[in-house]
Amino acid sequence: MAGDRFMAARKRNALLLLLAPISIILGIFFLIPLGIVVVYSFLEPGLYGGVEWTWYPYNYGRILGWPLNDYEEFDPIYLKIFATSLKYALMTVVFSLLICYPAAFWVSRRSERWKGFVLFLITLPFFASLLIRIYAWLLLLRPTGFVNTALEAAGIISQPLDLLFSGTAVVLGMVYIFTPFMFLPIYANVEKLDFSLVRASQDLGASPIQTFLRVILPLTAPGMVAGSIIVFIPALGNFIVPSLLGGAKVQMTGNLIERSFLQSRDWPFGSALALLIMASVVVVLMIQTVKAGRAKGGRPA
Amino acid sequence: MKNKRQMLWSALLKGYGVLFLVFLYLPLGLIVAFSFNANPINVAEWTGFTLDWYATIFQGASVEGNFDAAFTESPERIFDVIRTSFVVALSAASAATVIGTATALALARHKFFGKRFYQALLLLPMLVPDIVLGIALLIFFVGVGIELGLMTIIIGHVTFLSSYVFVVVSARLAGMDTTLEQASADLGAGPLTTFRRVTLPQIMPGVVGGFLLAFIISLDDVVITYFIAGVGSQTLPLFILAMMRRGLRPQITALAVLILLFSLIVASIGLILRNRKP
Repeated sequence: MAGDRFMAARKRNALLLLLAPISIILGIFFLIPLGIVVVYSFLEPGLYGGVEWTWYPYNYGRILGWPLNDYEEFDPIYLKIFATSLKYALMTVVFSLLICYPAAFWVSRRSERWKGFVLFLITLPFFASLLIRIYAWLLLLRPTGFVNTALEAAGIISQPLDLLFSGTAVVLGMVYIFTPFMFLPIYANVEKLDFSLVRASQDLGASPIQTFLRVILPLTAPGMVAGSIIVFIPALGNFIVPSLLGGAKVQMTGNLIERSFLQSRDWPFGSALALLIMASVVVVLMIQTVKAGRAKGGRPA
Repeated sequence: MKNKRQMLWSALLKGYGVLFLVFLYLPLGLIVAFSFNANPINVAEWTGFTLDWYATIFQGASVEGNFDAAFTESPERIFDVIRTSFVVALSAASAATVIGTATALALARHKFFGKRFYQALLLLPMLVPDIVLGIALLIFFVGVGIELGLMTIIIGHVTFLSSYVFVVVSARLAGMDTTLEQASADLGAGPLTTFRRVTLPQIMPGVVGGFLLAFIISLDDVVITYFIAGVGSQTLPLFILAMMRRGLRPQITALAVLILLFSLIVASIGLILRNRKP
């Protein structure tokens, strides 16, 4: 008995020891800083970049429409930029979904040996420097880049197209960067897909389109949703891609946040913008959780 | 009839798969090929083979007879930046490996109150957008009075890398046979001995793989580092970002290729170790 208690105490100490480092790291350098961002977003910006410790909801007011009298005007530009960010993030999700979905089926049909190798090839670019992958597109899209030179050589165009510094370039860049993020969850789902159900549907006389819409699509939906969320989150807050491929023409909320912190030094305003991004992320995750819960409860498959 | 249609579909799918890989690798391949292009203005127009861009990264001065090879960054500066990056990546990845592995062991081998809280908490750094984590750390460090620099970059990297290593090592632990650990404990070995002699050797590929992948993620991180680096310390990605913003130079392409090759080699080893069946 005493030995048991001794062992239990020892086990508890081991657990505490194992959990202490992560608790310190994520507690002090993750949760507290995020909490401070929330607090900062309600503080008044100071004169020279600091903050005044007074309640000040007008950071949000400047963005959403209740500015502090005439001193700070409400400018719908911030909402418009946020809407642009949402649009580009959603476009990125849709295009990478369309690109990755058939690819997942392709990989799942390979033989075991090839499968491992192809999966490795698809995962690998994730570890190639983000900047360098963007740089590749800079070289591809610029007026004297690969795309324009090739098109001119083929005689399709006589003047270089203005491909760089546009919304298209930004979406293209983000799709390229986030493809491995989208692919892996979809693949994990497609790989588990029970093809006997597909055959049953065909045997029962369903057309290929019916089989796809009624059997394959619902069965692979969880992977598509997971991939979409994993791509949507970093795409929405992105600032590196728009600042390099979008130039001065494309503004996303990430660029505004960056400028509030490093140039105009209005940290409370930047914090409010960052929380707008966080709020969108939380909303997306909550919808997903509720839907997943309902799917589990509603369909006792 | 049906067979023919299926064959067509399967051929289409195969063709698509090849295109998919081309989409992933062609942009990277083009950088590599054209880092040897002598044409400094139009990268896409091949005017001859040269190694000048590589040479000038580390020599600084212009190559004789090639005006465009002039490169304003001094070699000392570049070596300095590379050293900073390696110090950060080695320290952050090492710390994250220890912390992530310890956490994975705690969650895989112990039952305790609050386990689900920790599981959710560990996913958070991967779900919070980089830019939000970056500014949160910036406000925190400045508020607490820690001077921005090498130390703050390392701490920042450890926060998100620990979660990453945790995921990799957890996967390894989940696929592991626990009977050996039980046998070791039954034979009277202490927890530490069991860990060192039984558990660690089995999860070693996961731990090393996790370390290498964390090392590369740290080496390549731009966004979080961008906010917490301060003025004194510059990592390689920040250096390249600054160069890219000043205008495209062929030397950036050459430097990009060197980093690309290094990242891909280390990440390959990491991935192979991570994926090895227990």
